[in-house]
Amino acid sequence: MGAEKKIFEYTKKLHMYSGLLTFSAFLVWGVTGVEAMFLPAAGEYRPPPVTGTQEIAYQAPGDLDDDKLCRAIYAAVKIPLAAGRYNVHRDEHSHLAFNVFTINGGREVTFLEERGVVRVDHRRNSTLSYLSSMHTAHSGRHQLTVMASLWGYFNEFSTWAFLFMTFSGLYLWIATRPGLRWAQLALAATVVVTAALWFAIR
Amino acid sequence: MRNIHLGLGLGFFLMALIFAVSSLTAIYRQRLGQTKPEITEKAVQLPTAALATPRAAAMELMTAHGLRGDLREIKEKSGTVTFRIVRPGEVAEVAYPAATGEAKITIRRQTALNTLMALHTNHGVWHEYMPANLWAVLAFCTSAGLILLGASGIYLWFKHYDERRIGSALLTSSVVFGLVALYLTRLEQ
Repeated sequence: MGAEKKIFEYTKKLHMYSGLLTFSAFLVWGVTGVEAMFLPAAGEYRPPPVTGTQEIAYQAPGDLDDDKLCRAIYAAVKIPLAAGRYNVHRDEHSHLAFNVFTINGGREVTFLEERGVVRVDHRRNSTLSYLSSMHTAHSGRHQLTVMASLWGYFNEFSTWAFLFMTFSGLYLWIATRPGLRWAQLALAATVVVTAALWFAIR
Repeated sequence: MRNIHLGLGLGFFLMALIFAVSSLTAIYRQRLGQTKPEITEKAVQLPTAALATPRAAAMELMTAHGLRGDLREIKEKSGTVTFRIVRPGEVAEVAYPAATGEAKITIRRQTALNTLMALHTNHGVWHEYMPANLWAVLAFCTSAGLILLGASGIYLWFKHYDERRIGSALLTSSVVFGLVALYLTRLEQ
């Protein structure tokens, strides 16, 4: 077997194996991309309804400002898959309140100081919204549990595999059927349309 | 089926490349270093007719001063009107006193890589800015194409009889791992 033929065969195998190994990530990306088309416009997002409320006993140390108190509560309530807090504020009853992001839907945390209780309202997201969050996972994001971390590494690996398949697919076409007129036209059309839109937006 | 797989692959080649590169840019953003947008400031005197509404002012800036994008976040406070004109990779912040129309415009233009990331998340056909709608349609077709590309690829692999053993192991690993990881993570409520 000549060197050229060997390169072709190995590339074909790798292209196929990469696709099979990363199929589940592909599916998640595809579903997320299709769903994105139907997401609400900027500024029109409405959070899902409250699906569960939990109350946790908490006594605050007396010498903390709002930011430090928020950190202390965030550490104490141990929300599963918590990935950051934001919107720290006082509500209309002067209770300290803040939001927590999780892959499985946001939490609204309110400290009811007079009762010594932290109330956690869960707004569970839809499965599609969950998949959308998971499609953004990588080695530096959503590293929260063993499974979520493994998915993050797998997702990152799949992105590299996707890049490889983009180029190897092009190579496999050029190596086998470069003269195919409709294929040439398909490639030319995608390049022209995408480049035209890029320059229009840029 | 071979032709369908090839057609889908070539038809979405550039978009697939953009999605891959923008994803990798997002993953390695911290390692690549923070890139600051290029900031340009300019002052514009809005004509009286454009002061009727913020939308009229925005239209004037788009037609006469080259700003392009969706009109967002219109606010009025202490006699000063502010809004943004947004498109992937560029945000123009506009502020002007409603009485005089002396507009101050701050334009933040992102690098090409950051623009790719903005395009990655550009979705829906609700934009006033038509190229953003067209891009969203193209991204939607690419996403659907990705699913079909995967399905046609599996069919083509299945026809390779000598690759069935290794292929089955890889595909099963992918599907089982994916389902288990996604299911167990979803249980963490």
